[in-house]
Amino acid sequence: MDARNDMLRLLNSRREGFSLEQPFYTDPDFFKLDMELIWYRDWLFIGHDCELPKPGSFITVQIGDYPVVLVRDQQGKINAFHNSCRHRGSRVCNTDKGMAAKLVCPYHQWTYELDGRLLFARQMADGFDKSQFGLKPVACESVAGYIFICLAKEAADFAPMRAMIEPYLKPHRLSEAKIAFESTIVEKGNWKLVWENNRECYHCAGNHPELCKTFPEAPTVTGVQGADSDPEMLAHWAKCEAAGLPSKFRIDPAGQFRATRAPLLRDAVSYTMTGKRAVKKNLSDSVSADRIGTLMHYHYPTTWNHILIDHAVTFRVLPISATETAVTTKWLVHKDAVEGVDYDLAELTHVWTETNDQDRRIVEENAFGILSPAYEPGPYSELHEGGVIQFVDWYARFIGPRLADDGRPALRSVA
Amino acid sequence: MTDLGLYRHLDQMAPWNDRLQVLEVIGVSDEAPDVKTFTFRSDNQTWFRYKPGQFVTLELPTPDGPLMRTYTLSSSPSRPFSIAVTVKAQAGSIGTRWMFDHLKPGSHVKAYGPNGDFSLHSHPAAKYLFISAGSGVTPMMSMLRWLNDCAPWTDVGFVNCARRAEEIIFRKELELLGGHMPGLSLGFMIEERSSREGWYGHMGRIDAIRLPLLAPDFREREIFCCGPDPFMRAVRGMLEAAGFDMTKYHQESFAAPMVEEIPAPFAAPDSVAVPVEAATPIRFALSDVDAECVAGQTVLQTARASGVRIPAACEFGLCGTCKVKKVSGAVEMSHNGGILDHEIDDGFILACCSKPLSALEIEA
Repeated sequence: MDARNDMLRLLNSRREGFSLEQPFYTDPDFFKLDMELIWYRDWLFIGHDCELPKPGSFITVQIGDYPVVLVRDQQGKINAFHNSCRHRGSRVCNTDKGMAAKLVCPYHQWTYELDGRLLFARQMADGFDKSQFGLKPVACESVAGYIFICLAKEAADFAPMRAMIEPYLKPHRLSEAKIAFESTIVEKGNWKLVWENNRECYHCAGNHPELCKTFPEAPTVTGVQGADSDPEMLAHWAKCEAAGLPSKFRIDPAGQFRATRAPLLRDAVSYTMTGKRAVKKNLSDSVSADRIGTLMHYHYPTTWNHILIDHAVTFRVLPISATETAVTTKWLVHKDAVEGVDYDLAELTHVWTETNDQDRRIVEENAFGILSPAYEPGPYSELHEGGVIQFVDWYARFIGPRLADDGRPALRSVA
Repeated sequence: MTDLGLYRHLDQMAPWNDRLQVLEVIGVSDEAPDVKTFTFRSDNQTWFRYKPGQFVTLELPTPDGPLMRTYTLSSSPSRPFSIAVTVKAQAGSIGTRWMFDHLKPGSHVKAYGPNGDFSLHSHPAAKYLFISAGSGVTPMMSMLRWLNDCAPWTDVGFVNCARRAEEIIFRKELELLGGHMPGLSLGFMIEERSSREGWYGHMGRIDAIRLPLLAPDFREREIFCCGPDPFMRAVRGMLEAAGFDMTKYHQESFAAPMVEEIPAPFAAPDSVAVPVEAATPIRFALSDVDAECVAGQTVLQTARASGVRIPAACEFGLCGTCKVKKVSGAVEMSHNGGILDHEIDDGFILACCSKPLSALEIEA
């Protein structure tokens, strides 16, 4: 209650272009509000179609308090359900991923069809109506190989996101790729710090020696402004669009998602120490143009991505607490690419494994310092940190009205 | 619908061939709550050649792919131009529920059979006792209809147990046959009264006291028993306890056993069972138990009969709780989607709906 008012007050009085006040990064009550007003309301990236290859394939995920299971049904459709048995609430699927003929609750063997219908509940009373006790559905959309869910009772319209991102992603055929490797690391920092760090390359030179061998640090590449006056970007877009790859910088009017294609340094084609490709086989049979660089797209609050000629690296952010965030990275390659023949796993994963670890340390140091009672919001570099400013603005713009609308009068706390 | 105008005599027709001809539904009727009879014909040049008491397997084209479901015929081969199955939609049934929702006169279904050994034709005798529970009445009805058409003076004791009076399947027809067949004595037993139908007959569950009341000379009769497994175990137990000659006892289990476990009034005796028909050896490796699987029994039933515990829940091939590794041997399995193809490829079976085709070794 007080947190709600405090948050609203701090948002209303925040200085544009400055980092947020301490409780946004540290306070458990503020974190709860982030969960309720952002994470339980917006579309969230969970994983890839190719992780659910067959009917019965499932993956599970925990979003704050909500355990969710995603499963491919007999018709090939991907469904998401609240992973909580309608009997007494037990988790139905309790592994990260798997294959199941039916979803069977381990507690009392209540058996659900892959479309969520309750098929069998042993020895319930006469007149027990199974049709009333199917798994509760979660809104689920799949676009060009990316699966998104939304926990809200009434999910926001996914169509604008689909319309914008699909043309960029489609040629890369990620729904037919395979995951060569995935890692999940926990960064001891608030999810917004993870994002703020991601949204600028002001820190790259001093922290990311491996990434900087191939990735340009120019803010026109990483940020959200100035790309269309950068001749190098314009030339790259022209070249890629001529090859049939949508490339121009596009951003959703509300700033929640963006896509753009950017060149890599000199003649680099992939994120390796040499800049040479990590995978002999192209990621997609439909994309073979020379030096297409990286297709970058993000969607707040869960994902940023790099899609290259030979592989893709996708990232998923999930908050654990006010001061902990899980970051899952997946390296996708052509489904027929063979480890040890077409690619060396260590080489494929080296640059981003190092980069992730470097980012983790930066974020943790950032979080550590913010805990100081002497911390106060500091100014972002407009030149280099336009992306961070945009992210914080998006956050304030999304959570502010939801705080105010939630039926509670937003009273000022009486000091 | 097939043109019924062209009437032929039996000698102008050929027996139905399941590889060549599908079945066509010509009738659907209600028998009791959640029980329907589906009547099928083939075409006008085909008749059905089978023994009363045999079963057919229907291939039901559900959206999740074809489901194979085995049902005893309730019709009699003495009326060879059509066949009928009488089926109960149990809680959780998929196949039967699909039939209820989709089979209408004019629908076509692929079928296999008829098959099976559970028939008085295989075990002719002077006197019979047909003892059944619930929809286990269907093979009995097939046999009784045949007797009524072909040997109406036969001495038959007919006992059927049901939960409630209104759930007794074919009750009216049985009472009618009682008037036609001088040697038929009917006995019904229900478990609980209901407000829907009055009852003045036997109440309770069949046991060593009630069996002689229903069929005083049961020791002199060839006994055919069909119903849920616990019911058949109970009947078997009381017959064995009464010193009955078990070579004259025959049982047929359901394709889809009832979900409700009826606690057997008698524990299974320490296997003094005389093998009824050919028995198949099953070795339960982890328990170090060697068992015999009576014809028609599932791996799960054999496990239970020999004191090996395999966890199970639905017992109709849906929930997968009874999934066990088959180390060696072959089974026929009629599951309801509770096991994945790759699990089958890896040698797993669902014990509740697998019957041995050869000697087996099971990891249980």
